[in-house]
Amino acid sequence: MANRYFLACLVAVIIAGTVLYIMDQMELNLAKSEILSGYTLLGLIVFLGAFNVRKKLSMLPLLKASTWLVFHVVGGLLCIFLFWVHTASIWPDGNYEIALSIIFYLVFFSGIGGFFIQKSNAIKLTETGIEVIYERIPAELSEIRERSEAIVLECTKTTSSDTVANHYIATLAWYFKRPRFYWPTLLGHGNAKTWLRNNQASVTRYLNEEETGYFNQLIELAELKKLIDEHYTLQDINKKWLLVHLPLSVGLLIISFWHVLLVEVFAI
Amino acid sequence: MVEISVKQNTLTRPQRWDSPFDSDMTKADVKKLLAIEEIAAIKADRFPARISLEGILQNDTRIVAFKKGELVVREGDYGNSAFLILKGSLRIVLSPSLPGAILGRSKEHKRGFFDAVSQLWTSNWLPETRDPDRYGPTKTGAAKNAASTRIILQDIPAILDKHSTATINQGALFGELAALGRIPRTATVLADEDSELLEIRWQGLRELRAYDEGWRRMIDERYRQTALIAHLNEVPEFNHLNDEEIQLVADQCLFETYGSFDWHTSFKKLQNRSEANEPVIARQGDYPDGLLMVRAGFAREAVNHGTGKRTVTYLGAGDNFGMFELHNAWVNTNDSNLALGTTLTAVGYVDVIRVPASVLAEFVFPNIDAPVNMAEQSVGKSQSNDTLMQWAVDERFINGRQTMIMDLNKCVRCDDCVSACAAAHDGNPRFRRHGKTIDHWLVANACMHCADPVCMIGCPTGAIHRSLSGGTVIINDDTCIGCGTCANSCPYQNISLVQISDAKGNGLVDDQTHRPIMKATKCDLCSDQIGGPACVRACAHDALQRVDFKEFTS
Repeated sequence: MANRYFLACLVAVIIAGTVLYIMDQMELNLAKSEILSGYTLLGLIVFLGAFNVRKKLSMLPLLKASTWLVFHVVGGLLCIFLFWVHTASIWPDGNYEIALSIIFYLVFFSGIGGFFIQKSNAIKLTETGIEVIYERIPAELSEIRERSEAIVLECTKTTSSDTVANHYIATLAWYFKRPRFYWPTLLGHGNAKTWLRNNQASVTRYLNEEETGYFNQLIELAELKKLIDEHYTLQDINKKWLLVHLPLSVGLLIISFWHVLLVEVFAI
Repeated sequence: MVEISVKQNTLTRPQRWDSPFDSDMTKADVKKLLAIEEIAAIKADRFPARISLEGILQNDTRIVAFKKGELVVREGDYGNSAFLILKGSLRIVLSPSLPGAILGRSKEHKRGFFDAVSQLWTSNWLPETRDPDRYGPTKTGAAKNAASTRIILQDIPAILDKHSTATINQGALFGELAALGRIPRTATVLADEDSELLEIRWQGLRELRAYDEGWRRMIDERYRQTALIAHLNEVPEFNHLNDEEIQLVADQCLFETYGSFDWHTSFKKLQNRSEANEPVIARQGDYPDGLLMVRAGFAREAVNHGTGKRTVTYLGAGDNFGMFELHNAWVNTNDSNLALGTTLTAVGYVDVIRVPASVLAEFVFPNIDAPVNMAEQSVGKSQSNDTLMQWAVDERFINGRQTMIMDLNKCVRCDDCVSACAAAHDGNPRFRRHGKTIDHWLVANACMHCADPVCMIGCPTGAIHRSLSGGTVIINDDTCIGCGTCANSCPYQNISLVQISDAKGNGLVDDQTHRPIMKATKCDLCSDQIGGPACVRACAHDALQRVDFKEFTS
């Protein structure tokens, strides 16, 4: 992978250097150098968009997707450099250009952000120690909920005490209902852990030995659910960032082509 | 009152022998075969009524004629049938092997570029759709693939000059080891003169061996006579010996089998898969009495560590055990520490050839350099380095040749691999991104294309088979009857049964019982796709690999 990044960076530097050199020559000949940077930029944007097409054509030997990703990331960085060269500023004038720039930056930052989020989340997901398929999470949570309710019912029946049941209705039922602590998990806070510990501590003193046995089973399930919640949050964000990046990329492509069309029409 | 009509697509449930080995086999052919000495000796009354001897001969065999020089089997091919010579004689090329170019190895069918692209619009958007017309009794057999795929060697005298060969004559059986042992053909065989052979596909051979004592004995004896000599010729330590010496060595070799041939049935039930349950082949601290050559299956090499045993490596077909210690004992006769440094246990099932120390002293040690102490090298690794190896052996993942392993620290759980697999296979992925994990590794539920593909045991039609080159285990959808034997046999739950439907998505059902028609599906390594496994190419993070654990853990 490192070798491919080196190769992609080398290619990017050669392209950037070549474009800058030719633009310089064009300036000397009083030609419009923005044409070159603009079309290079457009070509690069199309190339970056082709990565998604490659994913759909998985049956064809069009290089490995990992190679495409390397060139996609480095190409994205080259893109922003060429954008600055093309506009000769980081924030161009004109309403249309500003709109184009906003979309451009959104695509760029969502791409870079998504790249690092995915890399980071992959390790966080592994650290949970369990593996859950995203689409299976509702079924897994439902199963945990059923098991927890069965434990509470059995506890009530066996011990003739409703302490655990009341505590469950007041606190844990909310927790088991659906994925919880989405944002704290995303931001790396330990709210779920603290919440569970507090709710455990608040009731343990009122339980006898038999009830404690049942309650510990509940806590085990709650701990498992906490891990599944983590999977839900991290996998969810891993998928959803693309819902920002992809539509914006399509928008950028359309608006860029419109920009080229306008430039060419007015050039006549 | 509203009348509800339910339209059902029906299909006659496929049966064993729906697709006979050769649909041109006649009753007269069967009668002729029953008169042949080797078959006449079979006690037909020992066979159950549903698998009669006549039925086997009619459906699981075919008579094939070969012209002088024609190749019958090629070394390295995965074949699913054995041959009985009815007429003529054949020549086995022992050593050195014939070059691939002479053998005319054919390439497997791959889609062309445009054919691959056309999947985008030709594939049905509904999963697992099939054309019902393709199923049912089919015309198969020798005539179908006759002259077009045969290769005739022109210059046989040159082959005889350059290669060591042996002749086998009328009445001899060969190819049974590859057919039953699920291993590649060990030698190339060609017709020495115009010959007629009875080709028996492995299902039929399995039944003959199971129900007839004479054939069982013959198959076992053939193993010693042909396979062992061929094997010894391949082993570097023995390949300098001449035919006479090889025969002497072969005569003194002992065959040993540890564990169960059907190891997968007990493996699925066992909770404790540690080495404690494995049959011991050689014990650490004991004195070695012979070289152990693994012929088939796997063995675990472990050292005593604390109160348990630490797995340091595993041995597969072609690996040896004890060479260093035996050589050391031969060189240093006065050394007090000549005992084995590791314990060898059978993982599931292992076929071992024991070559006595006296044979090695006479034929091998004077001609070789001091062997490397492989065990010492392995023991030298850290304990944590062995964790993955230990786990792979315990879970039998070592059986895999193309195990799908994912680095979870790289995997972003995007499921691009699953989508790519579905795109290449009738809209339904052939694996699940789910499985057993250790550390940051996940072995996904994808066919591992095992060295010992136990899924092939018991397939009544031979639908699940090895591809002719490369050893990829694939399922012939046309002959699969959806019985689920392979799925039940697979110890790793890597084969799924799916209900098939017509192009409109209506599920196909049996016309008699109205039960759904099922087909077994699994990863085929995208064997018909031009780019190879789509899952590997689709992973944008290089998290997914197809590996052989031996290489992966080394």
